[in-house]
Formats: sequence, structure tokens, C-alpha cells
Amino acid sequence: MQQIPLTDEEALVLLQSISSDELESFSQDIYDEVANEVSLGLCFEVHRAVKLGFLFLDESKEDEKKFEIVDEIGRDVFGQVPMKKQFECICPNCQRNLAASRFAPHLEKCMGMGRNSSRLASKRIANTGKVDSDIDDLDDGDWNYGNDKKSSKKKRDKNCPRKIKPKARNGEGGNSSGGSGEGTNVFNNYETMSLEERKALLLQCCGVISEHTKKMCTRSRRCPQHTDEQRQIVRLSLLGQQITLPETTDDIQVDIDTYDEGQTQLLQEAMYRSWDTGSSTNASPADSGSAPGGSISSKRKEKRASSNSGRSGGSKKSKSRLPPGGSSINMGNHGALVSQPHLPSDI
Amino acid sequence: MKTAVNQKLIETGERERLRELLRTRLIECGWKDQMKAYCKDIVKEKGVENVTVDDLVAEITPKGRALVPDAVKRELLQRIRTFLAQQTKI
Repeated sequence: MQQIPLTDEEALVLLQSISSDELESFSQDIYDEVANEVSLGLCFEVHRAVKLGFLFLDESKEDEKKFEIVDEIGRDVFGQVPMKKQFECICPNCQRNLAASRFAPHLEKCMGMGRNSSRLASKRIANTGKVDSDIDDLDDGDWNYGNDKKSSKKKRDKNCPRKIKPKARNGEGGNSSGGSGEGTNVFNNYETMSLEERKALLLQCCGVISEHTKKMCTRSRRCPQHTDEQRQIVRLSLLGQQITLPETTDDIQVDIDTYDEGQTQLLQEAMYRSWDTGSSTNASPADSGSAPGGSISSKRKEKRASSNSGRSGGSKKSKSRLPPGGSSINMGNHGALVSQPHLPSDI
Repeated sequence: MKTAVNQKLIETGERERLRELLRTRLIECGWKDQMKAYCKDIVKEKGVENVTVDDLVAEITPKGRALVPDAVKRELLQRIRTFLAQQTKI
């Protein structure tokens, strides 16, 4: 097709000789050629796309159509009519089918986990053996708290009417803020307690005996209504000869805190020796279980106590007799102790 | 005679310009999309593996020629005519 190129002059001459009819046919030919070229270009393009596999990429296939998001009123994106679904869980323990809302309570009962059942289980273990209960106390402060509270309350209720032991030494004490010489009935509650209980009580709260109500102040040891002197006098009267400054009691209290029922026997002995009071014979191991209950936010006081420990001779003595393992056990008790309601509120 | 015309078209680059113009016009009027859809039909019909360029050209060229809009065709022809007229008058 390609011929020898014509010179400009020859071409010009040739073109000038073109008639209008020829020009029309030439135009049509040129157009056809150009159109064919474009069409061929398209063919190449499509063929390349087919062979490389991207011709149908933009087409959504049949299986994709069913995952399209449905946009209709009253249906969700999956095209389903919204309806209440009853969620059900299968208990892994007993394979029962349960409504989801009932699942957690069921698990608590079924598997023996959760708060209440844990308490029950711990109690059961505690009944079988003391050693077990110690282990339990480590990881279940909640139960410890509940148990202490219950046992100490029960015990006091039982003790109060029956075992009134008029103790001359304690009864005569009275205190500075009034109430001195009121007789034994005012002090009934205090008296019926063992020395340890009393101590725990006083460690926990202010304890100053009011003039009017003849009741102990149940606020914290730092309650602004009473002075340290008043508190000291009450302690003096209730605990016998032992002068227990707030600082010293703090020191002891830290130690007491660290005790649990399993070790109370030792604690008792230590206390008996340190206070040299043979009178409180009615203190049973169970009684001293309430001892850990007698604390208030001991963390802060521990600090104080450590700074003051130089002064407290008596308490140091008692401290030295206590077994060293106590402090680790203490950890489980803290939360419960702090949140415990004041014990003597029912006195 | 025809050679002279072709030579002139290529030399001046007018042929290139004409082709580009036609391509643009065909894309603008949707001819290309139309043809592509048609191509897909053919490819599906023949199978992706079996289709050849020759098949496509044989199928597409007549249809493509027929589908070019009259307006586009007229514009192209007009432009060619003007070009030829220019060349003859020089």
C-alpha cells in the first residue's frame, strides 16, 4: 500500500486535480479508516482485559448479590424483619438452656461461684476445718467480713443477757465525761465482753461513754467530739491497768488485724501475757474472731504507728510475741474491715 | 491520487488528530461503553479462554461501525472535507 512518497509539488498538483465527487469519496474512505482504527483499538483493549482477567471485575456476581445491603423500611440490612430474639445460653455445667438474663444467677448457684455462693462455700469449708478457712480468708475478704460481723454480733447478743459478769475492777472505773458510778447496768455490754473484744471495740471506735445516753461513741477514733484524754480514760477503765495510748493501740491493732481465726489461739496467749490479765477467761477462740473487725483504715495509722513505735513499750512487747506470718494474711481483710459498720452500735 | 491524500494527512498529523477526535466523541456519546458491554457478551458466549482478537474484530467492527452516531460521523466527514479543501487550495 505504502508507495514512494510524493514530493510536495506532485502532491499539490494531484490534490488540486481532485474533483468534488472524488473528494467526497476520499472523505468517506478516510473516515472509514479512522473509524476502523478506533474500533480495532477497542478490540485490543477488550481482548487484553479478557486475557488479564479484569474485564469482569466491575461486575457483581450472582453470589455477591445476596450479600447486598438491603435498604427497605421495616427491615434490617440483611433484609430480615426485626423480631425479638430470645438469647439463650447453655450452662456449661449442667447443659441446661437458660435465658441470658438468668444466666449469671444460675451460674452462681450451679457452679458455686459468685458472691453469695462463695460465702456459703467458704462457710462450709470453715466448718470442716480451721486450716481451710485460713486459706479461704486469703482470697475472700468479703466472706471474712460477713462472717466476722455475723459471728461477733450473734455472740454478743447471746452473751449479753446471760453472761453478765460483774467485774469489780472494770465496773468501778467510770469515766471523766460522766457516767461514773452508774452501776453495772451501764457497763453491762462492755463488761460482758472479753478483754479482747473490748480492745477490738476500742480500737475501732472512739468509745467514749456519753453522759446522757450512757452509750459508747461509735464514731472513729479521731472523732472531734471527744478528746484524746477522754478516750484514754475510757480505755484505761475498760482495759484495766493497761494504759493504752491511741498510738500504742494503733500499733497493736495492726498486729491484730493480721490475725485470723486459725491463729487466734496464739494471739490470745500473747495478749494474755502482755496485759497480764487473768480475768477474761470467757474469751473463746471464736470471740477473738471479732478482733480483726476492730480496725479503722489502718493504712494511715500504720504509718503513724511506725513513727510512734518508739514510745509504745507495752505494745512492742505484744508485737514481738506475734508470729511473723500475720501481715500477709492481713491483706484480705482490709477492705472488709474498713467498711464494717461500727460494732457497738447495738450496745 | 489516494496516496497523495494519505500522505498529506499523515504528514500534517491530521490523521492522528482525526482519530483522537473520533475516540473522544465516541467515548462522550457512550458508544464505547455500549461496545464494551457487547464485547462482554461475546466473551461470555465464547468463553474467556477461547476468545481471540480476530473473533472480537470480526464481531465488533460491523456493529461498531453501525452504532456510531450520525452526528459524530457528520462532524468527522466535515472535518476531513475541510482539510482536503485546504490542501487543494494551497
